[in-house]
Amino acid sequence: MDDLALIRRAQAGDAAAFSALVELHYDTIHRFAWKWCGHAANAEDIAQLACIKLAASLAQYRFQAAFTSWLYRLVVSCAQDWQRGQRRHDHDALPADEPGDDATRPEDGIYLLQVLEQLGQLGEGMKETALLVHAEGLSHAEAGQVLGVSESTISWRIHVIRKALAREETRTVFA
Amino acid sequence: MKVSTTAYERALSRAKAPAPRAGARERARDAALAEFARVQAANELTSVSQDSGAEPRPSRIEQRRGRFPMFWMQRRSLFGAFASATVVLFATAMLWPVISGRVDLREFTGYETELPAAQPPPARQVAAQPVAAKPAPPEETRAEPLAAARGGARQEMPAPGTQAATSGDRPVIVRPDEKGRVNIRVQPAAEPVAPVYANAKSPAEVAEGFRQLQREQGANRPAPARIVDEIQILPNAQALERKPGVVVANQPQEMDELQESVVVTGARGELHASASRSRLKKDKDLIEARNNAAPPAPPPAGRVVTPEEVQALRRAAEGDDKFQHFDSNPIKRVAEEPVSTFSVDVDTSSYSFVRRMLNEGRLPQKDAVRVEEMVNYFDYAWPRAASREAPFEPTIAVTDSPWNRGRKLVHVGIKGYDVPRDGAPDVNLVLLLDVSGSMDQPDKLPLAVQSMELLLGSLKPTDTVGIVVYAGAAGTVLEPTPVREKQKIVDALRSLTPGGSTAGAEGIERAYQLAQRNFRRGGVNRVLLATDGDFNVGLDSTEELKGYVERQREKGVMLSVLGFGEGNYRDELAQALAQNGNGVAAYIDTLSEAQKVLVDESSGTLFTIAKDVKIQVEFNPAAVAEYRLVGYETRALKREDFNNDAVDAGDVGSGHTVTAIYEITPVGSEATSVDPLRYGANAAPAGARAAEYGFVKVRYKLPDESKSRLISKAIPIGAGSLPVLVEREVRFSTAVAGFAQLLRGGQHTGALTFDDVIHAAQGAKGDDPFGYRTEFVQLVRKAKSARGM
Repeated sequence: MDDLALIRRAQAGDAAAFSALVELHYDTIHRFAWKWCGHAANAEDIAQLACIKLAASLAQYRFQAAFTSWLYRLVVSCAQDWQRGQRRHDHDALPADEPGDDATRPEDGIYLLQVLEQLGQLGEGMKETALLVHAEGLSHAEAGQVLGVSESTISWRIHVIRKALAREETRTVFA
Repeated sequence: MKVSTTAYERALSRAKAPAPRAGARERARDAALAEFARVQAANELTSVSQDSGAEPRPSRIEQRRGRFPMFWMQRRSLFGAFASATVVLFATAMLWPVISGRVDLREFTGYETELPAAQPPPARQVAAQPVAAKPAPPEETRAEPLAAARGGARQEMPAPGTQAATSGDRPVIVRPDEKGRVNIRVQPAAEPVAPVYANAKSPAEVAEGFRQLQREQGANRPAPARIVDEIQILPNAQALERKPGVVVANQPQEMDELQESVVVTGARGELHASASRSRLKKDKDLIEARNNAAPPAPPPAGRVVTPEEVQALRRAAEGDDKFQHFDSNPIKRVAEEPVSTFSVDVDTSSYSFVRRMLNEGRLPQKDAVRVEEMVNYFDYAWPRAASREAPFEPTIAVTDSPWNRGRKLVHVGIKGYDVPRDGAPDVNLVLLLDVSGSMDQPDKLPLAVQSMELLLGSLKPTDTVGIVVYAGAAGTVLEPTPVREKQKIVDALRSLTPGGSTAGAEGIERAYQLAQRNFRRGGVNRVLLATDGDFNVGLDSTEELKGYVERQREKGVMLSVLGFGEGNYRDELAQALAQNGNGVAAYIDTLSEAQKVLVDESSGTLFTIAKDVKIQVEFNPAAVAEYRLVGYETRALKREDFNNDAVDAGDVGSGHTVTAIYEITPVGSEATSVDPLRYGANAAPAGARAAEYGFVKVRYKLPDESKSRLISKAIPIGAGSLPVLVEREVRFSTAVAGFAQLLRGGQHTGALTFDDVIHAAQGAKGDDPFGYRTEFVQLVRKAKSARGM
């Protein structure tokens, strides 16, 4: 059964269809959540939040955008919510508490976390943009659709990110 | 050394998420299924449930542009689908707590559905998420971190927790019972959501309240409540706030943690109440502190929202721009109050702000509309004065009122003496630019820089320009430099980048020091402040800042304020500072507005020709029964202030026009007054004075004098037809005044419509060299459609 039929049935209240939908998309959700935070347990929390949110808001999916775009957007919004909640509880779980768990090579994981942190500091929408384009391989137009901005905005953001991170790297190298 | 710019891209694209740990997928699925069941149940039970917050948060653009129609349609279909079920179930829902005996009736006084039309704009619909906003504390709850995951059928114990959503201004309590069904109650605004907490004096009592509620709900294992690091905030947070002992962001060290919130949990880290958060606004200062930060974020999910907050959010939708509240001038009876006194106002920022709002398709908040500033935005061809010594000649024009049959409009127009370009005094200008992080928007710092470059074009080569910036710290970017070296100034301007918080006061001090060091005797010494609104550090209060500006004015350095951007524009402060600094406050929303203020009218912006200009009109009670001053509400003066030279008033720049309009109701020409005033006390020349509606007096000081001079002129009855030019200008200013009053609610404009305004303005545009009047007509059209929304 394809996505759309599943969604229609789930929207009509079919719990089995909804369960199948979650099964199908959990990996996507979890993957993006993990890339967002680079931390296994947090990623699971975000993914779970997103699944719950999916249950509550599936009725509002109106088949206008691709389901995956819509889903990305939902996960982005959950991740933002999560982060906002987390910011006040930094002591709860520092991302660095599980080094090595997160990537094939430890230094990769640490570098990724640094990149994520820098992206997070660039301002609203920047981290999301970078993740969608670079980590998830979306085109600028698709990313724009997910984030509700124009394609050119995405291109501009990518440009800004590139400049900012290049400066950051230069500084790190010289330091 | 060249560094690859794509290292981070590689890191991102190579980032491989590990497989979810065992059980994570199942937990998430089960949690989602439980939520799914809850949502379905809620849908069946009532159509009130509108879990708008569950939708992915719309982007900021969408919040502004809106997907409102879809939103409504969806609500309607939801409503339609469950309409019949609602009737039955609604009754059940209403009676349910009574039947079950579990709910104290005092706690909930009523239920109601809200039709879509009654909803607040969805753009700012407060997010309400059916899950606890905060992941539960680590170890214990890692396995089952989310309270709402346990909702519905999987509950061992009915969750007394309140799930929050909003409906209109009122909190909605969503409360699953043991069968997993959900009752939804809309709380009357005045009623606290949970009285058990309303009287709580401490977090412990809040916790006790929860336990109590739990017992009432039939929980057989009352779990000891545990306060985590947050605090339950009640819908009437203000009431709670006043109670001693409650931890609300009262301490200064908490000021940066405005979003203080509370979660009360039961044993084993299970959340019995969903997190409620409340952005507490302790007082204005806190809000102002927040204004320095980012634009207002949508509130976090999963929270009870207070009516006050909804108000705040509404305001946020309009931006946090601050305007002084004022009521429109009332109609006054001449017999009781024959004298009307006010200070002139040549500021135009209100018009620019209104224009900006309308261009965005929104009607401006009423307090943003100051009729006199709208009227005075336009340059009127009143006859101009001939010399610097008698810098204006009032023009009086009486016409029939287009707003009310039988009334008349009296125009008092002043056109200031226009200082010829070659005779212009030397200018010592210090630009004080706000480069705080909030200025980092295309319509703020970049526009300010472009505006300043425009301004350079209207200065003489020997004039000097210095630049001071302020952000986290204040600094001098450019020592006073002659405009001859224009490139140097332009380079300095273009090197500015925004960042940091705002230290406005310190910047002002530094700018004044610079201006003082370079003081030009007999010239114009002026600080030109460009900001998006905030001065929050340094001199403590607004009053202190105003006093400082006033003292500097006495030393000869004036201040003008240019406002940029929106979101936290503080109009009131800008006005007050400019007024105390004998300067103008202008709001620059576009480069063409900068062109108008800084080039076309630069001499008016820079050169003051008269200061403390006050107007007093005394009406003849024999001729006028009632009068109403249109606008100038914020500029009213006491009658005795008119002759008091110590009382500050507005200033008129070179070439400025000032127009005031009165609407009067004539009583006829019988001079039978016993009023002990001009027309009554001395009865002799009643014949002559019966031909006057009133008497206009204008008091002003020349820029370098401290004693005021007086110009006066009578308002004649039946003076014959007006000169064609004056008549046209009167028609246009009347149209603008009518429009402004419509935007303010139109209490006094009778049956006037936007179409009437368009019609009147179209016929009175004249040659309109800069296109401002044409733009006005377009603006009225926009207001028409904005109203239709």
